[in-house]
Amino acid sequence: MSWQDPERVEGIDLPAPTHWPIVTAFGVTLTFAGLVTSGLVTCVGFVTAIVAVVGWWRETLPEPREERIALRPPEQRAHAVVPVPGAVEHLTVGEAGHRVRIPVDIHRYSAGIRGGLVGAAAMAVVAVAYGLIAYASPWVPINLLAAMVIPSLAHADPAELSRFLPAAFGLAAVIHLGISILVGLIYAAILPMFPRRPVLVGGLVFPLLWSAVVWSSLGILNPALNERIDWVWFVASQFAFGLAAGFVISRTERVETLQTWPLAVRAGLEGTGLDRSGPDDPPREGPEA
Amino acid sequence: MTVIDSEAVAIGGVRQGWLDALHGWVTTVDHKRIGILYVGSALFFMVIGGVEISIIRLQLAQAEAHLISPQTFNRLFTMHGTTMIFLFGMPMLFGIANFVIPLMLGARDLAFPRLNAFGFWLFLFGGFLLYYSYLGAEGLYGAGSAPDIGWFAYAPLTSKTFSPGNSTDYWILAILVSGFGSMLTSVNLIATTLTMRCKGMTLMRMPMMVWIMLVVSVLVVLVIPPLTAAQVMLLLDRFLGAHFFDAQAGGSALLWQHLFWFFGHPEVYILMLPGFAYASEIIPVFSRKVLFGYPAMVAATVGIGVLSLGVWAHHMFAVGLSRDLNIFFTGSTLLVAVPTGIKIFNWLGTIYGGKIRFDTPMLFCLAFLAQFVVAGLTGVILAIAPLDWQLSDSYFVVAHFHYVIVGGLLFTIFGAIYYWFPKVTGRRLSETLGRWNFWLLVIGFQITFTTMHVQGLLGMPRRIYTYPADRGWEIWNQATSVGVVFQIAAVAIFAFNVWRSLRKGQIAGDDPWDAWTLEWSTTSPPPSYNFETIPEVQSRRPLWDLKHPDDPDGIHE
Repeated sequence: MSWQDPERVEGIDLPAPTHWPIVTAFGVTLTFAGLVTSGLVTCVGFVTAIVAVVGWWRETLPEPREERIALRPPEQRAHAVVPVPGAVEHLTVGEAGHRVRIPVDIHRYSAGIRGGLVGAAAMAVVAVAYGLIAYASPWVPINLLAAMVIPSLAHADPAELSRFLPAAFGLAAVIHLGISILVGLIYAAILPMFPRRPVLVGGLVFPLLWSAVVWSSLGILNPALNERIDWVWFVASQFAFGLAAGFVISRTERVETLQTWPLAVRAGLEGTGLDRSGPDDPPREGPEA
Repeated sequence: MTVIDSEAVAIGGVRQGWLDALHGWVTTVDHKRIGILYVGSALFFMVIGGVEISIIRLQLAQAEAHLISPQTFNRLFTMHGTTMIFLFGMPMLFGIANFVIPLMLGARDLAFPRLNAFGFWLFLFGGFLLYYSYLGAEGLYGAGSAPDIGWFAYAPLTSKTFSPGNSTDYWILAILVSGFGSMLTSVNLIATTLTMRCKGMTLMRMPMMVWIMLVVSVLVVLVIPPLTAAQVMLLLDRFLGAHFFDAQAGGSALLWQHLFWFFGHPEVYILMLPGFAYASEIIPVFSRKVLFGYPAMVAATVGIGVLSLGVWAHHMFAVGLSRDLNIFFTGSTLLVAVPTGIKIFNWLGTIYGGKIRFDTPMLFCLAFLAQFVVAGLTGVILAIAPLDWQLSDSYFVVAHFHYVIVGGLLFTIFGAIYYWFPKVTGRRLSETLGRWNFWLLVIGFQITFTTMHVQGLLGMPRRIYTYPADRGWEIWNQATSVGVVFQIAAVAIFAFNVWRSLRKGQIAGDDPWDAWTLEWSTTSPPPSYNFETIPEVQSRRPLWDLKHPDDPDGIHE
């Protein structure tokens, strides 16, 4: 590296020390301090600041004042960095094998999205069925979902909830699809961790756990909404989502996870099969037949 | 042109008369000297702020105590908060950046050296103006006194009606003046980073600390002006009878909160991001590995900077915002956990599989990692509006904030001082004393601030002068106060370590930690011109490339 060999120069030009910055700062401070002390202080501060600014300009215009600093004698300069060839230890596959890696293969993200969308449709069927049976209107569960972000809907009477409300429908659609896709992605990530009974875990256990979390927390987070939910139908719709999403995801092809790759490769530091040859090296020949 | 002997102007140079030496420091435009001035002044104000909080803790150690008056108590917590944020935290981060960043970039100085000096002196005089209020202000009771409005100075407490003397004006003017200094220094750091990098140092080859300080500087430039505007509006209210924050005359007290917290919350990141910067430099060197996921770290830094501008009203949940605003600011605040989590995992990824050296800088960074995770978790709790309604203005908030600023920032500042002290002075700090410093600070910190969470959950409001004995708060307050004793001992040992090491410390050499960034390629302390010739780099770790020519970083980046 060229910067290890300093050029033979007499000195280096640096900005010369100056008292104008401190005088200017003092003047500015006094100018403000006069507001809480005396007008005279402000006057003195203002004049000081103006004088200092003029002095500063004269020192920097047309050319900033500089001084030449002599280089230190060679024996007082930085020591050259000493190379230590062969001292680099590369991380290898396994890293001492002290960490269990499961799963070794996973579903694609696209499988999670597909599963989430199919689950969303299944859940919607159950929810609409609930609306038709209990209220003779498919819009009740949709409006209740929108009530998560429209507080007035949580207090609306059944007649209002039974109407088609475009804003509520739009919001409910966004919430339903967004959460369904996210849960589908989570399913895709964690179902391979339960390889023996993915449908049981994804279709029944997870929906039950999720329902329990919602049931125990909704009374605190949104009491009004909590009173309007029929929990049997709620759990049924969760089952519908879990079974449909779990079924779709578990049937998709799995791909190898990065877990088996070296840490350095995962960190983007090294790629396997890195070509270290330079541009001037002769082209390599293919294997002989 | 006169040729000056470099040793006569370099740090630690030949002995001069004290007047010459003083003149040298007062007129210097050298980024390293200004950095030392910043750090020295910040430590001075840290001691003052520490004394203030020690008195507060003595007062609160017993129920129904009357060690000091309520008026004095109000002044003390106001001055403690203002001092630690504006006169310790910000100058400390600017000081370290001043010293280190030009060296890391391979530059001879900051882009505007005189402006750099101007910025420092504005900050220092602003600090002096604040403390002159003890002598010069006519406070609420007609006696000379300091501000007593809390560090965020809510309206209408700041109106002439409730704060008739000049104490509040001192607070406004002092922060105004030092705020100008902060903006100038930030502009300087941005210009230096964008225009003065040495040959080969592309943006994506800059050390992580430079990236982070670039984001911090941009944040300062974006958020100090709204604070300055708010302060000018408050001055107009107080001096000329304007009514910006006077609700009875058509103004809005809430407007102050919006303007202040638009500055105030990014300010937390302005303070905390440099802590991330120090950790990002120290952890790789003491793990003997490259920083894990550099591009992700850069993205996370920028992400934190952007998100921090959109979360301010989570400080205002308790004022009764609309539901939509509550949802938005809860969501945006929770989002900050994502880039912050990326950083935590990347530091862990850096340590994982490394050959860790448990030197003092690394100890401080490891403690920072653990403590900052706790701070983040309590931050997530406070970001949720319904929980914030329960915990707002309680000691839980104080505990969370101090877990961030002390457990996060102060620990990394100590790590940074132990790490760069050899470069600044040419001598190493004592490792033995450093470990005493570290463990006493860890113990003191945990005793003080962990117990504060309990006080908050038990309903103890912040800023109360005293409390009844039957609330069950006393034992927790006593524990908190005992923890302060450990922290005082830790800081005293640190001061002794610095004093002793400056005289008898082990000579450091150019590169005592076997590190990889450019500041370690020059002497300790560096000459005033930094480098005999401007370096040229080919990777993020130029010294690694020199030390390991058979496996340079450039082929992997």
